[in-house]
Amino acid sequence: MPSLQVLLFILLGIGAIATSVATITRRNPVASAMNLVAHFFMLFGLYLTLQAQFVAIVQILVYAGAIMVLVIFVIMLLNLGKEQSLDEKFSPYKVLGMIMASAFVVMMMSMILGKPSGYTQLSDKALANGTTESIGNVLFTQYLFPFEIISLLLLAALIGAVVLANRTAVK
Amino acid sequence: MGMDFLTSAPIVLISFLSVLCIVVDALTPKSERITFYFAGFSMLAAMLMAAFTMPNTGTAFNGMITTGGVATFFDILFCMGGLLTLFAARPYILRENVEHDEFYTLILYAVAGMMVIAHAHNLLITFIGIEIMSVSFYVLAGYFRSNTKSVESALKYFLLGAFATGFLVFGMSFLYGSTGTLDYTVMANNIQSGMINFPMLLSVGTGLLIVGLSFKMAAFPFHQWVPDVYEGAPTVVTGFMSTAGKAASVSALMPIAYAIIGESGHQVAGLLAIIAAGTMLVGNISAVVQQNIKRMLAYSSVAHAGYILMGFVANNEKGMTGIVYYVTAYLFMQLGAFVLVSLIERNIDKQLELRDYAGLSKKHPVIAALMAFFMFSLAGIPPMAGFFGKYYLFIAAIESGYTWLTIVAVISSMISVYFYIGLVVQMYFKDAEGEGIDAHQPGLAGLTLTVATFFVIALGIMPSTVEQIARSFFK
Amino acid sequence: MIEQVYLIPLLPLIGFVVLGLFGKRIGNEKLLGMIGASTVGAGFLIALSIFFGMTGMQPEERSHVVRLFTWIHAGDFTADLAYRVDQLSILFTMIITGIGFLIHVYSIGYMHGDKSFFRFFAYLNLFVFMMLNLVLANNFLVTFLGWEGVGLASYLLIGFWYDQKFEGTNITWTGDAAKKAFIVNRIGDFGMLIAMFIAYQYTGSLDYDKLQTAVVGGLIPAHIITYMGLAIFLGCTGKSAQIPLGVWLPDAMAGPTPVSALIHAATMVTSGIFLIARTNVVFASSHTTLAVVTGVGICTAFFAATVGIAQNDIKKVLAYSTVSQLGFMFIALGVGAFWVGVFHVMTHAFFKALLFLGAGSVIHGMHHEQDIMKMGGLKKHMKITHLTFFIGTLAIAGIPGLSGFFSKDEILWKAFSSGSPVLWGVGVAAAFCTAFYMFRMFYLTFHGEERFDHHHVHPHESPLSMTFPLMVLAVFSIIGGYFGIPHAVGALLGHAPNLLEHWLEPVFADADKILNHSHAAHVEPIEYGLMVTSTVIAIIGIFLARSLYRNYGKASTEPTAKLGGLHALLSKKYLVDELYQAVFVNTFYTLSNSFLWKIFDVKGIDGVVNGTAQLIGGTAERLRRIQTGVAQNYAVMMMAGIVAVLGYMVFVR
Repeated sequence: MPSLQVLLFILLGIGAIATSVATITRRNPVASAMNLVAHFFMLFGLYLTLQAQFVAIVQILVYAGAIMVLVIFVIMLLNLGKEQSLDEKFSPYKVLGMIMASAFVVMMMSMILGKPSGYTQLSDKALANGTTESIGNVLFTQYLFPFEIISLLLLAALIGAVVLANRTAVK
Repeated sequence: MGMDFLTSAPIVLISFLSVLCIVVDALTPKSERITFYFAGFSMLAAMLMAAFTMPNTGTAFNGMITTGGVATFFDILFCMGGLLTLFAARPYILRENVEHDEFYTLILYAVAGMMVIAHAHNLLITFIGIEIMSVSFYVLAGYFRSNTKSVESALKYFLLGAFATGFLVFGMSFLYGSTGTLDYTVMANNIQSGMINFPMLLSVGTGLLIVGLSFKMAAFPFHQWVPDVYEGAPTVVTGFMSTAGKAASVSALMPIAYAIIGESGHQVAGLLAIIAAGTMLVGNISAVVQQNIKRMLAYSSVAHAGYILMGFVANNEKGMTGIVYYVTAYLFMQLGAFVLVSLIERNIDKQLELRDYAGLSKKHPVIAALMAFFMFSLAGIPPMAGFFGKYYLFIAAIESGYTWLTIVAVISSMISVYFYIGLVVQMYFKDAEGEGIDAHQPGLAGLTLTVATFFVIALGIMPSTVEQIARSFFK
Repeated sequence: MIEQVYLIPLLPLIGFVVLGLFGKRIGNEKLLGMIGASTVGAGFLIALSIFFGMTGMQPEERSHVVRLFTWIHAGDFTADLAYRVDQLSILFTMIITGIGFLIHVYSIGYMHGDKSFFRFFAYLNLFVFMMLNLVLANNFLVTFLGWEGVGLASYLLIGFWYDQKFEGTNITWTGDAAKKAFIVNRIGDFGMLIAMFIAYQYTGSLDYDKLQTAVVGGLIPAHIITYMGLAIFLGCTGKSAQIPLGVWLPDAMAGPTPVSALIHAATMVTSGIFLIARTNVVFASSHTTLAVVTGVGICTAFFAATVGIAQNDIKKVLAYSTVSQLGFMFIALGVGAFWVGVFHVMTHAFFKALLFLGAGSVIHGMHHEQDIMKMGGLKKHMKITHLTFFIGTLAIAGIPGLSGFFSKDEILWKAFSSGSPVLWGVGVAAAFCTAFYMFRMFYLTFHGEERFDHHHVHPHESPLSMTFPLMVLAVFSIIGGYFGIPHAVGALLGHAPNLLEHWLEPVFADADKILNHSHAAHVEPIEYGLMVTSTVIAIIGIFLARSLYRNYGKASTEPTAKLGGLHALLSKKYLVDELYQAVFVNTFYTLSNSFLWKIFDVKGIDGVVNGTAQLIGGTAERLRRIQTGVAQNYAVMMMAGIVAVLGYMVFVR
């Protein structure tokens, strides 16, 4: 009999898969976006069951809170409400893609299921490491360098956005 | 901590100057020239720093990055690539009338990202570096916003790049799950002493990591984006991406090869050998039928990734030395070829067909001679630099028992002669229909071409110089 | 003097640089020609003085290695830029610089008035530099530099008159011929590279000395030696135009005639012979390799000789005769008579250079007409050319007393004594064809009715700068054979010594030991019988040609056309080019064009659709396609790759 934690994990996992599938199969962009929001909440739950509170909160704040709001705004501004906007034609590549994706999943599943699970419960380490406090600690000591250097990445993305969005392409 | 700043000076300096570059950019809204000089100065400074810190091998910032050694050699290479691209790019974007500060800034950021990759001693840093570089490339590829091809190229690159990055991170997380660390040295020790959970997780993680890096390196079967993106991107950017960018991906694989591949025996080497063979064959065979010179060079760039991978298959001192030498030689010859293409093209996407090059030797003897020179070097004809690069790698592969791979490599490099020489035939042995084409005045790009030519000759006449430096890193 | 050997290649290199950079500014043809010729001529003088210096030494002391600098240094492996001066290399050096000098002088007249006069001499000097590197090299790497370099120079020279039409199989202009030569040679280079890698793997070095020691010392397994020999030989078939890679040489005749003389007759095509002579122990140690060399040699000698019968282009006849003669040289090497092969290289260099330059003189006098059917009766217009050409033709036909006789007969004898009577028989048949087609060409060109258009063509003798080299070469075509008088002939001439064999003996000493060859001047009576037989057969060939073609007129029909289908087959060169085109080139293109490219490059498949999209839909439609179509397809391909990689990682151990 699996513990409640494992049961929750499985349920949330199924939910995450279902909502992500719905995201790409819905024809209405708004419905897609809403499914994506639901998907983020499923992930939030998954992180919580794994004792990663900080990541879980950030997930909600950044993705569901900020990014998805932006996405929905864009959809509304562009008026992409019409159903056929995301309609796709049939293509042999799609079939091939499905086959390949299934093969990937089967391979992953066989790898994971083929081995006896080493984890029956969360280790104490996970409990301790997931807190905001411990993350803050390592972020400014051991992982100071990546923390600083990632600012370059953000700046590069920022400049990129300016270049691509700048209206005066030709002087 | 204070020592860390000194020993890792190149990377600290370039990061600082990259951030400062935006400030400079903002303070001088009217003058693109100042940003140009600032970016150039930054790379020059970082290059000098790299040269100074080369002997200080070690790690810094809690083992996050390595200092000195081969990382600094790559620093010099990236800065050199960046500088040469800057010189070639200025006249190019001025011609197209789209000069913006951001172009130079992004080149600087890409170089900074590459340097982060080269110094990485931790999967996390490798990932961040790859992303800094890639984001800069996505934007640079779409820099000609009014040109559909350029935008298409950027979008494709971005979509597929994100797809590949997903697998890269997936692989990294598997590796972490299996070895419990992101640090390369610790990871190597754990694997060696058998302190790993789920050996299968390690295998699959390694596989996914190779997938991700193969994409960045443009190796088969993850190379489909290359011709489209390289064709659409601004030509000097293509030159930059296909040389320094490839070198950076190679430098990312280096510590990984040391930590994981070196420890897990022949399995991964076998996989890399298959990828290398496929890359060489598909790249060279596909290049034969291309009519667009940028597409042709794109496929040739795919093929060269295959040669480089041979060094990883060998995964020993000789192989790594060969890789460093090859990447150096390749940077100069491929960049030189792309800069020449940029001199000939018109209005972003005109005059790029092979037949446009007919009779070029009559109208522009210098450009044609240089192009022929780079083509011969790419084809691996001695005594140009390209030959010795191939030679080192082939020898390394043979020594580690991959004779069949060497035979495939030799065959595919023979195929490559067909299209490299095809271009030379166009330029020298055919007459233009009608007037023939005009090339642009090289301007600053002349400097790029001079430097590139100098290095291709120097590396060919004195291959030992670079080879000895490179080998000293892998003792 | 030996230490200064580097000057020999250095001078032409300087010539190349000076002519290439300042040639256009110098402009003066005489001065340009002087620079080009003098650098090679000075090299010849240096080579000559080294040679005479060497004659004063003991045979064992004649081999020297001159190290210039370390080219590659990688761990325990080093490759120097080093020249090896020994009996073999100095001989080749003298041939290259000597004949090269004459051809340079000749070119001053032949290329007179050409718009790219300076470029021609620059390329010629580059060629000589590379060729000297090839023969003087002390290791495979320097040889390979020269090997590729002569390929490059010959590529530039074949395509020199790139705006001229040229008729070949699937070739319409000279640029294509140049490309074909270059690419076919690269297939041979594949063998060269493999041989280099094998040498490196087993000896840790690329030096010829080390390889020789390793082979003689039995450090390399026998089957590896066989592979290595075959790989080297593949390279040689490319450079020396043997079956199956001989297809490029006839098309290489697109180049200016002095080029054909220098590169495609006297020097570059013999580099295959040189390489085998240099690595003789590898070949001597494997009977399989020797058998393959002999087989390829005899097939090439025979088939090329038969093709020569049905050719009407004066240069193509000579091209096929070159291929055929090279086949003879390989027979000599294949039966282990290395010095005889080198001997034939030498005599062939004299008379073939003479014939090519003579043909050039004819072409020059005939205003670039090359079809022998449109010549005839040139004897009275071009007296010197006629006489020297006649000497060359006699020499190649193997008439006793001239150089060709000595070397060819020695080859046939070695084929008989070390090989089999069949080998001898086929060789004699090829020699018969040679005598026949050479005299067919000779009579069609210089005798019979004047079949050219008298209104447009006024045949005239060429200037002295062209006829002088002809005369010098004619002299050598006569006396060249006396350096290597076979023992059988020597016995008749009062025990005349065989200078060349004696000279080269130390080079091939190890190989002879392996093959149990002795140098006893033992003469078998049957040799005289064979000699007389082959001479008589050659003379029959000459008289057959004389009777058929001496009075060939405008209205005459080609006698060989009576052979019907066989003639058609011969004139089409056994359809080898067509076969290669169909089997290799077309297959490859199909593979590249319809298979690989389209599978891995989705744009190829969607090309049509994309094209229409661009036409009608414009930007928006195109962007939509990117988002929903092509990029996704790429992702699918990548996914397939990922599944394959994972499959490998999971299932392949």
